[in-house]
Amino acid sequence: MLKIIVPTLMLIPTAWLSPAKWLWPTTLAHSLIIALFSLSWLENLSETGWTSLNLYMGTDPLSTPLLVLTCWLLPLMILASQNHTSAEPMNRQRTYITLLTSLQLFLIMAFSATEIILFYIMFEATLIPTLMIITRWGSQAERLNAGSYFLFYTLAGSLPLLVALLILQNNTGTLSLLTLHYSNALTLSSYADKIWWAGCLLAFLVKMPLYGVHLWLPKAHVEAPIAGSMVLAAVLLKLGGYGMMRIMVMLEPLTKELCYPFIILALWGIVMTGSICLRQTDLKSLIAYSSVSHMGLVTGGILIQTPWGFTGALILMIAHGLTSSALFCLANTNYERTHSRTMLLARGLQTIFPLMATWWLIASLANLALPPLPNLMGELVIIISLFNWSWWTIALTGTGTLITAAYSLYMFLMTQRGPAPAHVISLDPTHSREHLLMTLHLLPLTLLILKPELIWGWAF
Amino acid sequence: MVNFVALAREHWVNILVPMGFVIGWYLDKQQDQKLTAFRNKSILFGREMKEGEEVTWK
Repeated sequence: MLKIIVPTLMLIPTAWLSPAKWLWPTTLAHSLIIALFSLSWLENLSETGWTSLNLYMGTDPLSTPLLVLTCWLLPLMILASQNHTSAEPMNRQRTYITLLTSLQLFLIMAFSATEIILFYIMFEATLIPTLMIITRWGSQAERLNAGSYFLFYTLAGSLPLLVALLILQNNTGTLSLLTLHYSNALTLSSYADKIWWAGCLLAFLVKMPLYGVHLWLPKAHVEAPIAGSMVLAAVLLKLGGYGMMRIMVMLEPLTKELCYPFIILALWGIVMTGSICLRQTDLKSLIAYSSVSHMGLVTGGILIQTPWGFTGALILMIAHGLTSSALFCLANTNYERTHSRTMLLARGLQTIFPLMATWWLIASLANLALPPLPNLMGELVIIISLFNWSWWTIALTGTGTLITAAYSLYMFLMTQRGPAPAHVISLDPTHSREHLLMTLHLLPLTLLILKPELIWGWAF
Repeated sequence: MVNFVALAREHWVNILVPMGFVIGWYLDKQQDQKLTAFRNKSILFGREMKEGEEVTWK
């Protein structure tokens, strides 16, 4: 575990001490090496499932894919950001990389914590660098508003969680994930117990985000710079899903009826946010709402609490992390050339950037869950387990899938097809850097087709 | 010689992350030692090692 954490920590002095012209290549190379080393976590030979243990941290099949995704994303963020930060003073570029690195550090500690309170602290700590990235490096004045939405939605959700965790510590005497399974089942019957139950889940449902408490997400995504959007979509939302899967173990005897409203809200959210996507004019906002829609499916999969639901949720989280991050990168390549996120203003790009159009096609197909990709496997597993629970759910999940296909097609057609508008006169050609960035997003997704058990969690 | 000095001055930062890896690896090793101080000593869980097996938990 420290094999990865200490080098990540050392990336910060590396970013500050390396000569200006070597700053981006150096940090990119080192973060990529760290990401490659992190792949060693995937080899799990332990009988108990837990490996790389030390006194405070460890990995198990549930956290390993998320940890590797976190490490994989840092080089991609560095690769994606170097163009739009290149005009800034050197110290600010270094600060930017420092923030991204510290975010990776907090995320690794959050996903690998064996103590729920350590997880909670790191869950909160990730807010600080993310908030700085959004409010300092966003491109419009609305970023301040987006920052306060982001901060207060998350904080308002997670303060009840702290209280709920302290009560749990009082009752069971431990918050360690390794022993909490073995504590006696809590007998919860009073009204206050039900509030405690909601307090345990609320923070994660806001972070996911659940439809109804999702308003912070499109704002944050639209205003954040590219690296902020990438990490938010790919990893930070997954903190919510991960936290829910961890805390569910404790809530077991009580959850059946209490889950219903949240499952319904999550499934309803799939249809609603999908419909919102269908009439978006803003490219980044469309991708953000599509994230909310996919996360609704993940929430549903987790809340029905079956092994299949959990597995599907984990698969979809990883697949969606890579896909949505790729889509944000593509949106950013458009934005860096046209300086607008409005889809109407940059149509017909297929004729101008044919290779980029191929990336758009692949990423859109991944977003709508094309057959061999893990996206489909995740959606299918969740939809099947939801169907098994109640066949009414197919009405919502089925409609959701249709709408997902519709808005993915809409996004592709709006940006790529048709004649190029007359006002688009000179656009920079695409860089190899951007193609490399897309390859590094879609390659792991494709390789996971061949060995999907890496992201199956405890089911394998 | 001059080239070597220039190279070292320009690129010495590249040593930081590998150094971090070595330190981390060493600390991981220390933690393993600490957590396995009583390995295979339990009456209940202790067992004979299989052939070629070094530790019971891997």
